[in-house]
Amino acid sequence: MFSEKKKFIAETQQFEEEEEEGFNLKSSNPLHSYGVQPLGNLYFNPGSVNSRNTGLGNLQILSDELVLEILGLVDGTHLGVLATVSKSFYVFTSHEPLWRNLVLDNLKGRFLFNRSWKVTYISTFYPSFDVSWNTHFSGLRVRNFYSDYLFQSWLCANLEMKPEWLERDNIIRKRGISVDDFVMNFEEPNKPVLLEGCMDNWDAMRKWDRDYLVNLCEKIPTLGSDYEVPVYFREDLFSVLGNERPDYRWIISGPAGSGSSFHIDPNSTSAWNAVIKGSKKWVLFPPDVVPPGVHPSPDGAEVACPVSIIEWFMNFYGSTKNWKKRPIECICKAGEVIFVPNGWWHLVINLEESIAITQNYVSRRNLLNVLDFLKKPNASELVSGTRDRINLYEKFKNAIERRFPGTIDELTLKAEEKKMSFWDSVTDSKIGAFKFSF
Amino acid sequence: MSRKITLKSSDGELFEVDEAVALQSETMIEADNILTLPNVTSEILAKVIEYCKMHVESPEADDRAAADELNRWDLDFINLPDTTLLDLIRAAHHLKIKGLVDLACSKVADRIKGKTAEQIREYFNI
Repeated sequence: MFSEKKKFIAETQQFEEEEEEGFNLKSSNPLHSYGVQPLGNLYFNPGSVNSRNTGLGNLQILSDELVLEILGLVDGTHLGVLATVSKSFYVFTSHEPLWRNLVLDNLKGRFLFNRSWKVTYISTFYPSFDVSWNTHFSGLRVRNFYSDYLFQSWLCANLEMKPEWLERDNIIRKRGISVDDFVMNFEEPNKPVLLEGCMDNWDAMRKWDRDYLVNLCEKIPTLGSDYEVPVYFREDLFSVLGNERPDYRWIISGPAGSGSSFHIDPNSTSAWNAVIKGSKKWVLFPPDVVPPGVHPSPDGAEVACPVSIIEWFMNFYGSTKNWKKRPIECICKAGEVIFVPNGWWHLVINLEESIAITQNYVSRRNLLNVLDFLKKPNASELVSGTRDRINLYEKFKNAIERRFPGTIDELTLKAEEKKMSFWDSVTDSKIGAFKFSF
Repeated sequence: MSRKITLKSSDGELFEVDEAVALQSETMIEADNILTLPNVTSEILAKVIEYCKMHVESPEADDRAAADELNRWDLDFINLPDTTLLDLIRAAHHLKIKGLVDLACSKVADRIKGKTAEQIREYFNI
């Protein structure tokens, strides 16, 4: 028994060494908790039988996803019974997403996360059950269980960001520039920039941490005074709508590894994101470059990025090295603000536990874009953050006309002039350079 | 005249379906005129087609009676032997017929609930 255990550990360690260049595993989880190995390992063990199959019986003809789909339809008690059927069922029923769904469906937020979703569920519904570490609850290891799906799922949850994914930092950084500077060099040409020194006098920098924000409901009226909108972003045209304006500001908080996969911000707005604690890795692509691995629907209503953030890095990041249109990347640290121009694709991942505040806004530089967006025939699907989606275009346009009469016409005229002069410079062979550039 | 699609089971039997029926399966509708299914027997394929034929038209949103009737038909339809159910899940998954996958998986889940570990071992022949 002891020598078998040694052999198993030796085998798994060998696997780890072979994969050294592949995986940076979180130090808290050196081996898969239950000993699941990827399917490829089966081929290194001639004569080995996959206990996944023998333990499923007739069910083995179904793929892992289908087995999990069936398991997703039973409740916690039944999962507990199933865990005792065979080693294979034990591994499958330990799949964390199953327990996460049970917790979220049954407790709807009224719970405190405790070590894992499975432990959270059990300690909530069976409070007298001993879930401390030194009982057998640390998990049983099974042998000869090979499954790509379960292994991949565990791997993504436990992978850390590789150094080479964090190296590239090619965003322009500015400190103390004037608003005019910002508008002319970044907002007008719709280019991202990282702004330093805007948050120095924010109370939030010293007050906001996880404990402070935990009981948010009582604090909401005062949170607004802990920060101020950086001077570059004070033009906020949606404010003409008063309470009927779309949602526009968020406090975002999460652990390392959390974040947002590729998307474009709603309503064609621009955004700024200020990191108060922690740090975030950003990857940005311009509006006309769809990131690898992302599939927007033709009408733009849905964006499908089928992979998680870490999977995107594993599978697609490398290919961007050779692209002509390389993304803009950076790590945004506490005290720094990033400007996300309207229409830009972006992906964000927290490198450590982070707290940030972000606002979306409309200024004169993207007013026409926003109006065009709201005017679209499928506006009801695309427009987000407000209940009255279809009438938002009319309401907004009229409100702007009332508050800033003539602005829309003025901007439209300017845009036409730009277009015309562009074509002039193209057709007039005597003029070498374009009059403006992106 | 609507397009017809031919399906060929693993044991060589041919089934012809109308386009309206095939529309419920992403795999079927994307196929050319003939779709070969080396992993689906004629017995299972017949069942799949039976389901699709019944589901060509979804009941109107507010037609409770029609929805209930279709539900009853589904519950009756899915009351199949255990191994047939599993083959059906696999076939429906391959053919991308979500409704049928959901229906059959629910049935298997129902049959598991309430069983002891020993009974489940017997049930799945472990």
